[in-house]
Amino acid sequence: MDDLERVLRAHPFLADLETEHVRFLVGCAKNVRFRGGEYLLREGDNENDLFLIRQGTVAIEMPRPGGEALTIETVGPGDVLGVSCLTPRAAHLDCRARDTVLAFALDNRCVLQKMKDDPRLGFALSMRLLERTYDRLSRARLQHLDIYK
Amino acid sequence: MTSTPSTQSPHGSPSLPKASVGASAYLPTPMRITRAVREIAEVFTFEMETPAGFSFRPGQFNMLYVHGVGEVPISVSGDPGDSSRLVHTIRAVGSVTRPMEKLDVGDVIGVRGPYGAAWPIAEAKGKDVLFVAGGLGLAPIRPAILEVLANRSAYGRVTILYGARSPDLILYRSELERWRGRFDVKVEVIVDSAGRDWYGPVGVVTRLLDGVAVEDDDAIFLCGPEIMMRFLVRSLKERNIPEEAIWVSMERSMKCGVGLCGHCQFGPTFICKDGPVYRYDQVARLFFAREV
Repeated sequence: MDDLERVLRAHPFLADLETEHVRFLVGCAKNVRFRGGEYLLREGDNENDLFLIRQGTVAIEMPRPGGEALTIETVGPGDVLGVSCLTPRAAHLDCRARDTVLAFALDNRCVLQKMKDDPRLGFALSMRLLERTYDRLSRARLQHLDIYK
Repeated sequence: MTSTPSTQSPHGSPSLPKASVGASAYLPTPMRITRAVREIAEVFTFEMETPAGFSFRPGQFNMLYVHGVGEVPISVSGDPGDSSRLVHTIRAVGSVTRPMEKLDVGDVIGVRGPYGAAWPIAEAKGKDVLFVAGGLGLAPIRPAILEVLANRSAYGRVTILYGARSPDLILYRSELERWRGRFDVKVEVIVDSAGRDWYGPVGVVTRLLDGVAVEDDDAIFLCGPEIMMRFLVRSLKERNIPEEAIWVSMERSMKCGVGLCGHCQFGPTFICKDGPVYRYDQVARLFFAREV
């Protein structure tokens, strides 16, 4: 448990989070490993986990009927997958490991309960998720502008 | 235009009149195309013979004239260390560049120039240098990269970040791969979207900045779509990089090339004469202005 707490704290998403809060989250976290080609999430799946990527690259893909999937972004160490964990819904994209991916999977229901139990933790995590959401939205908007055309 | 490089004119055209660039600001010098290369869709490169004494500085542009059609400003994209060849990479998008695309080895183009301010390569000596380019913006910054690489020991860390729409639209791909193979240059390429046969990163070019150490005394050169540069400047300022460390290459409709006609007025400056390369703090107040 101590080891998990130590490595959790090292992830940029949880950096500077109060020690007691990280300790509180340990119970929601597990180490997960995906081989290249395996899916962390597929379109239509329930988003049950918030993934904190530690190693490897994940391709966020839009499956196309009868054709090859289109990769719209890649994420790697330090990134987070599943920023909609506060309002869980079915995934609208595939998330595929390009190579061996190591991550922490934080159980969404568990995290949400702890955020309700401790509003200070809830606020701290919400701010981090909002920041990541805003960053992703900015990038998506820039991509949408198709500036190199 | 041919799709494969060739070095000699197949047309046996008559010899060109001797003229030197800059003899008159308004008089194009005829230069013969010696090589024509298809780079990517709609983008081609011409190499031309240069008259004796021709030289340019990285970042400058020429006015290229297609006889009987018109004239367009195009940045020089060749090696400043090789004065025998003038190289321009051009996107066929307008009423002049589309007919230009149809020219071939042996044909003649009128050239006025070079004009404009250059990338401050000499002033960057001793510093870490970061080049960030997007799309066709790699062409105007390529001479600066070549000059830095030719004098590699005079600079600190050299990093080249490049963003393109998709893998098939990566400009100078083989050259990027060659640079990436060097031990003394960091090169990262990102594309907006890709199929599974692309193993590099996918996303916007600003993403690449996250993985680069940037210090406030670095020399940072940005070239590409203005929106891209605005996003990059925001990211750099969030990392407390001073405006004086950032250089940008601006693009407007240049006509005369010498700051007289006013077509390329950019606030109190003319891009053809005072730009296209500006230190960011000189244009910061115009950069986010709605109308300039």
